[in-house]
Amino acid sequence: MFCLATAFAAHATTFYVTISGLGGENDYDQRFKMWADDIDGSLKKAGGDSNVVTLVAPTRDVIRTKMGEVARQAKPGDAVVLMLIGHGTFDGTEYKFNIPGPDITAAELASLMDHIPATRQCVVNMTSASGGAIAFLRKPSRVVISATKAGTEKNATVFARYWAEALRDPAADVDKNESISALEAFHFAQHKTTEFFDTQKRLATEHSVIEDTGKGEGERTPGADNGEGRLAAAFPLVRLGANATAARDPNKRPLLDQKEQLEQAIDKLKYDKISMPVDAYKKQLASLLLQLAKVQEALDKQ
Amino acid sequence: MRVPGSLRVAAAAARVVIFSALAAAVASGQTLQQAEQLRDQHDLMGANEVYKQLEARHPDDPAVKVSWGRAFMEHAKEEDFQSANDLFNEALKIHPNYAPALVGLALIEARNYGSKAGPIAQKALDADPKCVEAYELLARLALEDNKNEKAAEQAHKALEIDPNAVQAKAVLASMDWLADKKDSQWDPHSARGYETGGHFFFLNRRYEEAIAYYRKAIALDPKLWSAHLELGLNLMRLSQNDEALRELNLCWENGYQPVVNKNTIQLMESFPRFTTFKTNSLVLVANKKEADLLRPYFEGEIQRSIDTYEKKYKIKLTMPVRVEVYPDHEDFAVRTMGLPGLGALGVTFVGPTLGYYIAMDSPSGRPPGQFHWASTLWHEMSHVFTLSLTNSHVPRWFTEGLAVHEETAASPEWGDRLGPDEISAIKNHTLLPVADLDRGFVHPTAPTQVIVSYFQAGRICDYINNKWGWDTLLAMLHDFSANVETASVIKKELKIEPADFDKEFLAWLEADTKKQVQGFDQWRTAIKELNTANRNKDYAEVLKKGPEIRDLFPDFVEAGNAYQALAAAYDSKGDKKAETEELLRFVHAGGRDPDGIMKLGKLLVEAGRKKEAAEVLARLNDIYPEADGLHKLLGDLLFDAGNAGGAVREFKSVIAGNSIDPAQAHYDLARAYHLSHQDEQAKDELLAALEVAPGFRPAQKLLLELSGGG
Repeated sequence: MFCLATAFAAHATTFYVTISGLGGENDYDQRFKMWADDIDGSLKKAGGDSNVVTLVAPTRDVIRTKMGEVARQAKPGDAVVLMLIGHGTFDGTEYKFNIPGPDITAAELASLMDHIPATRQCVVNMTSASGGAIAFLRKPSRVVISATKAGTEKNATVFARYWAEALRDPAADVDKNESISALEAFHFAQHKTTEFFDTQKRLATEHSVIEDTGKGEGERTPGADNGEGRLAAAFPLVRLGANATAARDPNKRPLLDQKEQLEQAIDKLKYDKISMPVDAYKKQLASLLLQLAKVQEALDKQ
Repeated sequence: MRVPGSLRVAAAAARVVIFSALAAAVASGQTLQQAEQLRDQHDLMGANEVYKQLEARHPDDPAVKVSWGRAFMEHAKEEDFQSANDLFNEALKIHPNYAPALVGLALIEARNYGSKAGPIAQKALDADPKCVEAYELLARLALEDNKNEKAAEQAHKALEIDPNAVQAKAVLASMDWLADKKDSQWDPHSARGYETGGHFFFLNRRYEEAIAYYRKAIALDPKLWSAHLELGLNLMRLSQNDEALRELNLCWENGYQPVVNKNTIQLMESFPRFTTFKTNSLVLVANKKEADLLRPYFEGEIQRSIDTYEKKYKIKLTMPVRVEVYPDHEDFAVRTMGLPGLGALGVTFVGPTLGYYIAMDSPSGRPPGQFHWASTLWHEMSHVFTLSLTNSHVPRWFTEGLAVHEETAASPEWGDRLGPDEISAIKNHTLLPVADLDRGFVHPTAPTQVIVSYFQAGRICDYINNKWGWDTLLAMLHDFSANVETASVIKKELKIEPADFDKEFLAWLEADTKKQVQGFDQWRTAIKELNTANRNKDYAEVLKKGPEIRDLFPDFVEAGNAYQALAAAYDSKGDKKAETEELLRFVHAGGRDPDGIMKLGKLLVEAGRKKEAAEVLARLNDIYPEADGLHKLLGDLLFDAGNAGGAVREFKSVIAGNSIDPAQAHYDLARAYHLSHQDEQAKDELLAALEVAPGFRPAQKLLLELSGGG
């Protein structure tokens, strides 16, 4: 998955569209804008092949226009990330994102996304009741992250605050590949949101979920058992370092191939861990990791 | 008193529901005597059927209602006490000032150490000067306050009326037993009498003796479920869990199901969620989800407090101290149920042969910053020493006073600050005489009196320590261990009459708190205005008025304090130096807000004052070790300072806190191990880091270096 992500990041443009909706109160307006600005700043700072659009309290027409522009510019090899911050509503049938003028429905948002040719898509809906939008937004090859597990979780959410944090905090880069994937950002924001409610001694009013199989309801804990999270793990949101440049250098190809083989061997070993004696696993892991470190050292020296 | 119709209906419905399991046919013509006979034989269901018939036949007989109410009290579920209360009030409606009904109401009050029990019992005596039970209750209440003379007087009055009054005898005998006289001429030779003896031993924190008396009660009346319950609870307090659970289940199976029984069984069934760490001197029991995080800090403070107190109190503990830490406050609350006073943060149980036990809230059990767990631990640990040294013969006010004194003796930044309740008590002259101070803990007359009594007892010990010295406090402890009463101890050791001591102490206290007490009203108005200005981001106003308001009441470090308002104002101006100094003042005044302490730590790091930063952040470990980012920041500071041991501890805590960045956490721990020349452990940690993140370059480099390949 590491290699997939690296290869993807090296050649594609990622379009980011962040929209903060109506707060209804001054406090919420400020908060939503602040989180959107925070995300905008992190994306622009990360640089790379990216196109960053941030809309604060836009009307439905403005959203349609901007998404249309993205649809015209994006190519199949590109990626698109739509991030929604604000209040949402769900009446049991239809989800709506609250914006000035007529609200925009999940069905329309899905349609706008469908018109974008980029085959790799990610929608991060951080509004209240966002769980109600999953059924409309899900699609094969699209990651859908939602701040709430259902449309019935109606309280204002804090997930966006921690999602914004994830995009700039190196701690979110759990596998230290200098790139924060959608799955890593999801885990980070989910962890911090849970911690927020625990610390405040408050009953959690939001339970974030992820869906990237195109057919699920959204999972709290993506993993092999439920099949969720695989696409998100290979979806780089923000690059923190220059890992992609190495892949473009033909002189480094032999070492990179060797590195890739070692990484695959480590992945396989980790997969087999459960069926192995602890000592044997540890010994093999140590050997592979040491070899990988040596290859990386050689790459760094070239 | 009129009972609203709806309440009577509700009470009647409850009675039907509670006792509906048995609907045995009851022949008409049964008497109150028969009902009470069944009640005495613990056949409460049978008794209830008779009472129902009796009430139907004699709806206006207050004796039936009162007797039925007493049966409800014996059944002892929470709703039963409400039914009993309703019945007693119904009886009073029929017969105003009916003494047995008043006694019933007084007994309900006394159950939870309510301050109205005495006045209601006195009212019963006014209505019926020959009411034996009222005298007995007054005797019991007096002995609960350690007012032995008054207790004996009331008990003898009961015995003059009824020479066989069991509870009067039990109170007199309890006074002998508590004074270590094994044979008492007042030995009631009855189960309920011994149960009362057990109650007084429990109340005086002599749990092993309480257990012995509950056993004696049960031996005479194996169906006395209230004694079984108390036996179970006291066994649990001393961690005799197997037998405790058997007793509690026995009660449950026999229909004796007060809420404390249910909650305690549930708590004991949750024990598998806890894990235990043992050393030679301590046993730490913590919930598995946080045990690894808390362990180094708790073990460190437990050991440090034991070492300190063994020198101060000049005794060696003979057994390990068991400290149980509950992240769920409700679990901890079960451990304190039935205890008088607050018991809000921690509780200590000492058995001379069964060991020393402390139960307390975990720092995660309360909102961050509300609770200084290390201060609480030292408080409770001092009880272990004072109770051990006196064989639990120390009066409540003195052991609590010493414990409060020890909190600030351990660190001036610890302990509770002077608060509005204490200021109000000083101002309104409602502090109690030292000889009556136990009453403030056991039978408080106002909701704030317990907390004020803790404060007063603590300041009395401060005062004695300042004026007469620590050895005098120790001498007083030794006097108490020989069953000498407070007034006599004051006279003997301080060479002063208790009343004169009170005057001198109050003069000292008033002088010490004069500025804060006098300025309190002004401060109360001003701090509201300051907080409004802060909320409105009117920082010029905050900076103008803040310092004076802060200095009017420098002890106020809770939410909405002037220190943090000023710090925010300095922050808005970008004046980091002033912000840092203000937050340092806040911390030195005892401020506990984790965000404020973390902010200060980061400001000090930015300013290059790393040593101070580490000292400030280390304070947070004593308050809220779960604080976000604390251990990583502190670990880095300690690592940079070359403190390998400290860095290892902190980085281990990062891992124990389920770090969101496990690779970095294991790598940090690896470099700390490497710094302390523990390279094998370092390699293990590197493998753990690289297992999560195989391409993590800093970890790869250190692995190569440690493997000789770098």
